[in-house]
Amino acid sequence: MPGLLHPFRLLIRAAALGLLGLAILAPIAHGQAITPPTPESPNAGDIESAYLIALVVFILIVVVVNVGLILPAIRSRGRRRVSAARAPRRRICQLRAGTGLGLLAAALFTVGVVFTERASEVDPAGPAGLKAAAGRTAQVGIAPPTDAGEPLTIEVSGQQWIWRYDYPDGIFSYYELVVPVDTPVILELASTDVLHSWWVPALGGKFEANPGKTNRTWFKAEREGTFDGQSAAFSGPGYASMRARVRVVNTTEYNAWLTRQAADIQSAQEAVQEQVETGTVPGLDALEVSG
Amino acid sequence: MSAVPRTPVARPEIAATTGIARRRPAWLELATSGDHKAVGVLYIAAALGFLALALTELVLMRVQLIVPESTLIGPEIFDQLLSAYGSTAIVLFGVPLALGLMSFIVPLQIGARAMAFPRLNALSWWLYLTGGVAIYVSFLYAPSQAGTIPFPPLASDVFSASNGVDAWIAGTGLAITGFVLFAVNLVATLRRNRAPGMAWRRVPLFSWAAAASSYMLLAIGPVMIAALVMLLIDRQFDGVFYNPGEGGAPILFQHLSWIFFTGAYFLVLLAATGVISEIVQTFARRPLPSHRAVAASFVAIAVLGPLAWMQNMYSAPIPIGFAYFAMAISLALVVPIGLILVNWLVTLWRGELNVRTPMLFALGAISTMTIGLAGELGQSLIPVGWQLGGSAAAWGDTHYALIGGAVFGGFAGLYYWFPKLTGRSMGDGLGRGSFWTMLVGVHVMVIPLILAGLNGQVVDIYKFYGGIGLDGFNLISSIGAFVLAVGIVLSLVNAAISARGGRAEGHDPWGGSTLEWFTLSPPPPHNFDLVPDVRSATPLHDIRDAIRRRSDASHRPSAGGGPAAAAPSADDSHSEAPVA
Repeated sequence: MPGLLHPFRLLIRAAALGLLGLAILAPIAHGQAITPPTPESPNAGDIESAYLIALVVFILIVVVVNVGLILPAIRSRGRRRVSAARAPRRRICQLRAGTGLGLLAAALFTVGVVFTERASEVDPAGPAGLKAAAGRTAQVGIAPPTDAGEPLTIEVSGQQWIWRYDYPDGIFSYYELVVPVDTPVILELASTDVLHSWWVPALGGKFEANPGKTNRTWFKAEREGTFDGQSAAFSGPGYASMRARVRVVNTTEYNAWLTRQAADIQSAQEAVQEQVETGTVPGLDALEVSG
Repeated sequence: MSAVPRTPVARPEIAATTGIARRRPAWLELATSGDHKAVGVLYIAAALGFLALALTELVLMRVQLIVPESTLIGPEIFDQLLSAYGSTAIVLFGVPLALGLMSFIVPLQIGARAMAFPRLNALSWWLYLTGGVAIYVSFLYAPSQAGTIPFPPLASDVFSASNGVDAWIAGTGLAITGFVLFAVNLVATLRRNRAPGMAWRRVPLFSWAAAASSYMLLAIGPVMIAALVMLLIDRQFDGVFYNPGEGGAPILFQHLSWIFFTGAYFLVLLAATGVISEIVQTFARRPLPSHRAVAASFVAIAVLGPLAWMQNMYSAPIPIGFAYFAMAISLALVVPIGLILVNWLVTLWRGELNVRTPMLFALGAISTMTIGLAGELGQSLIPVGWQLGGSAAAWGDTHYALIGGAVFGGFAGLYYWFPKLTGRSMGDGLGRGSFWTMLVGVHVMVIPLILAGLNGQVVDIYKFYGGIGLDGFNLISSIGAFVLAVGIVLSLVNAAISARGGRAEGHDPWGGSTLEWFTLSPPPPHNFDLVPDVRSATPLHDIRDAIRRRSDASHRPSAGGGPAAAAPSADDSHSEAPVA
């Protein structure tokens, strides 16, 4: 190969290798980039277990196929071809190969079912959680448990381009969802306009907020902190800024927040009422004309 | 210069090529012809043009995403690019490139003189081109901003008031109508016009892939047309098909459009596997271990592929049983896809590889497609799909599979059959340069985005926020997109230059084993003067064997040309075949 040591070629090859190295090594420098963020909820943990199994299968397939491609290609370099005569057929057992692949598929299906079921099963509240008690478990979407340890149900409503959360007792908030630690929280997802998708990676998978049909998911945050997420369904020009935040606090703080939020909502309502009465609400004239 | 010593050359005898007077200018001839070869060239040329547009859109979107919270291209223009990109990449490039190769090659491979309905073939191309033009003409007033697939309610007249979505519906609908007509034509051709002796078990694998894809297109095309018509009625005539407030259901459009797009995804992959199967057999100089198993796998993919549509809807409000159904179908696809890979790898290991440019692209296609499909396999597990579906990781896997199939696989077919299309080969140096640039580009573009997806980046955003660990991934990915674009452009330039200036090739530059190499390059309008009797899946090998046997017989009385039982003997019946 006379052209191999040509400086221009060397430069090009070095640049290509450098780019590939950058793409592959940057994540390793970045820490735990080849897995989802550390799970903070039991369902996210189940998701990560399924992911790790899928990752192993993925790496095996990619390595076996690529080695199987590259080795014969390297072996063939520089070898003189003698004849194009038709090579004799040696049979490989297609049935055996197919059976092996079928078993792999069946094993993966089992893994999928097991972890789907586990991730859908709502955990009972922990010792630090709200209404801590020996609760029953339940499947999301089938039957919420009715006795003690009942999970907290919050209605989540996607709207262009913010999330609204309706807590029990008429309290609501936007953008930031505040929940008590160690407590199962069932989210009932809906949308007031277009499709949205709820996703806080540390607390589990994505669930679509559909204007036609209520969707459900759940999580149980195992420690206090804030977890960020972003809507994952294209919803128009403001889609990129439709983020969400979950703030996990202890039960005392949660109850205090509820009281404060109730008071804030009340005072906001009174302020609006006052503006209506004094006629200082912008656009009120139009409303009164049409009413 | 196929430089294969001691290989007898099976030379076609075509008498009537010089006698045909050209009556009209070449372009008019091309545009009005019902010849499957002319239509094939038109399909391929238009598809490559739309590839250039898709690439431009991709690069512009990656330019916007180089730095966090970039304001270079605003959300409106970004969303326009995004909405055009999805349909351009798959409906206007991926599928038609596959159909173009099928239109040109399948009749030749099965020894047909023409397609069953020549004018229907021309009509299908014109419908496709009109559709593509309709989508791009909307850029002159108000293009769609409703996303890669315009899901209602966002695509309804309430949330997308301008007529861009209507242009998208019309354009996509016209193109898909063209594809369905093409599929009707190809099914009829494959059923009625096969050469004598060309039983289904002897039909070459690319034609098998074409048959499987055509039947699939007959099933999925009308589904999408129905979905588009309902969306149009909703938008223009106060329909309520997808209006949740009036008893309609937005999820209906998700189901219908995913049936089509999942099918189109597998159509692109099927065409690529057909191309790769031909190339691997030619350049490894041996047949696949089981023609029958690979053909059956194509059929299985065509049946199971579209049925896996709900794999894209794990997070939607569907009953969990539906999700299990989708997961079961997606995982069942492991068997046919894996079987094809096993057959390829066995052939590569046992064969004598000659890594010419088409083979290089085919190997790259296998490698890239496998990464994408293995990623999709992981995401077909419901919990993994919940976490990664709709994230940049899902975007990455889809792009691995589709760039592997449509670009690497499509280019492999182009480099392989270009001598047949034009009589000239595409440049080797430019081809290899393009291949390695594309290979580096695709990995550098996609790997960082998969990792960004794992870390919370979602798909289709016009900006990402800084300080949450996504900056580096996006910067590297943008660099990769530029490299990929340069690589693709090199091959497009190569095709443009070589169409007139390439090295002239004979009718069979690679030593192929199927009938398309048994006619001139480019073939005469009637393809063959005399189609030989087909006695195996590799008719050209049979002809070569017969010649070798005949010449051996004249030198050494007892020598045989090979053990193949299917080879014809040089008896009276075969001596009539046009071998020189």
